[in-house]
Amino acid sequence: MSKKIPLDVIDDEGNSYYVSERKIYAREISGPLQTLRKIAVWVLLGMFYVFPWINWDGHQSVLFDLPARKFYVFGLVFWPQDFIFLAMLLIMAGLTLFFVTAIAGRLWCGYACPQTVWTEIFMWIENAIEGDRGRRMKLDKMPWNREKILRKGGKHLAWALFALWTGFTFVGFFTPIRELFASAPLIAPGWQWGGWETFWVFFYALATWGFAGFLREQVCKYMCPYARFQSAMFDRNTLIIAYDPMRGEPRGPRKRGLQSVLERSRGLIDKVTAYDLVYRASGNAVAADTAAVARGETGMAELHPAPVPLPKFPPDELGDCIDCTICVQVCPTGIDIRNGLQYECIACGACIDACDEVMDKMGYPHGLIRYSTQNAIDGKPTHVLRPRVIIYGTILLGIFLAWAWGVTHRTNLIVEAMRDRNALYRVVEGGDIENGYTLRVVNKDNVARTFVVDVKAADGIHMAQGPITVEAQPEEVLTLPIALRGPGTVAGGKPVAFTVKSSDGSASEQVDSKFFGPM
Amino acid sequence: MADFTQPQIDHPPRPLAQRIGAILWPSFFAACVATMVFFAFVDPLVLRDETFPDLYMTRAMGYSIGFFMFWLATASSSLFTWILLRPASRFNRALPPD
Repeated sequence: MSKKIPLDVIDDEGNSYYVSERKIYAREISGPLQTLRKIAVWVLLGMFYVFPWINWDGHQSVLFDLPARKFYVFGLVFWPQDFIFLAMLLIMAGLTLFFVTAIAGRLWCGYACPQTVWTEIFMWIENAIEGDRGRRMKLDKMPWNREKILRKGGKHLAWALFALWTGFTFVGFFTPIRELFASAPLIAPGWQWGGWETFWVFFYALATWGFAGFLREQVCKYMCPYARFQSAMFDRNTLIIAYDPMRGEPRGPRKRGLQSVLERSRGLIDKVTAYDLVYRASGNAVAADTAAVARGETGMAELHPAPVPLPKFPPDELGDCIDCTICVQVCPTGIDIRNGLQYECIACGACIDACDEVMDKMGYPHGLIRYSTQNAIDGKPTHVLRPRVIIYGTILLGIFLAWAWGVTHRTNLIVEAMRDRNALYRVVEGGDIENGYTLRVVNKDNVARTFVVDVKAADGIHMAQGPITVEAQPEEVLTLPIALRGPGTVAGGKPVAFTVKSSDGSASEQVDSKFFGPM
Repeated sequence: MADFTQPQIDHPPRPLAQRIGAILWPSFFAACVATMVFFAFVDPLVLRDETFPDLYMTRAMGYSIGFFMFWLATASSSLFTWILLRPASRFNRALPPD
């Protein structure tokens, strides 16, 4: 009866069956990789906030003019008929992602993803107003007083202003931004924005505030499709952020003065022991799986025996990891990189910068956590050129060449012919038969052009008013009613072709249609 | 150091029939409702004339194309939901040996 029954009360204190997300207080860190990330943030957000303000050829450099159904991207104009080029552009973006992932891992996540980039800005604001990691944790625990209200309120005010500017810029990609600014509330009297402009500015601001301020790493962990499938592009030659367990294990605190294993007789331990020690230190399923693969087994991590507790190691057997957990504290997604490659890792490199700083303090060489490949960590050669890299590269190059050729060689003239719907044919004076059409002629060029419209047909079918000449302004869409006339002897459907030629011969198009007589 | 930031819930894989059923059936149902509502207001032949006037089409064919397009969209969404709800352990595996 003396044995205690292991019962726990399920309560609101965080040990319920439903585990709510634990807030992550990422420690700020500086270092070469963080500097690179800052540069990426400035370049990418600079492009986002500045591009709409730059003019190009007399219009906004990047403008997705939805009401006019035209997309301006610097010198290029995309019409709805050019949808294929936009689709190809998206396919190329996807393939580039695959190609880069296969070679260099998740560079996209660490440096370029809007989620990461905006989250960084929001975290800088938070850090500037609420203080560093320790002060933020203290602030959250503290009761609501004047300081907490001021700091939290100040942070949200700064976040809200930045989010609103972001929402405004976003809408500025679809509505000319200078006009949008001139008619903005507080700048123009009253409320001059239309309903939808107002809605999208505030909706996008709300999304920025929520995603970058609150959801943060949860977007990467629970909402991002790329995080789920990126491992399909990974192999042992892909650049990853990796902890070197052969050098680091067994981990543990030590007295000052112990040299790095690279300068001691211990040296690097063998792979199987090293991965096993990681598993035994963490009990983590990923570490168990890595240990199993290192042993040359396959199977599920769950099937492996519970980790045997670790003994206390004498100082001369200790590896270079001092188990300070700084790498975990700086991680924006809150993982322990020492357990091995995890899908939550966004490859931001914060743990590398943090660990290198610790290594400096200990007088150890850098690189206990480093950019490396699994093969390099395991002491095997790394191959950059692999079949997957060659295949992704070839397809990407092929699509790019096709796209570039298509964009530079697309015609500046679009012709569409639509038969009038209400009647198949009508009989006019003299027993002739007439068919009605609507011809749409689009001059995509940025200069005015004159076009000659004619028809090619057999059986004496001709344009009722003869060939016509029309003038089209730059980027104008002409809608021309055309009547074709044929002798009464025409029966059934006959093929006809409308031809549209520019007077200077620079563009010509032919479009097929049908002429119907009595059956 | 134990990692408390991760919810430690790891459901074993569900049967294939359950996975496929949970993706295709709700999306089929949603596509049916969407098709009925959409074509209650839009005549497929009028839509054809507005978009691809040269396409040979009957009403039944228009309804069918519409239904399968809706189903493709809703099933893609269901598939995405399934991928996102898979526990971390399905993705967190060591890299396969060369």
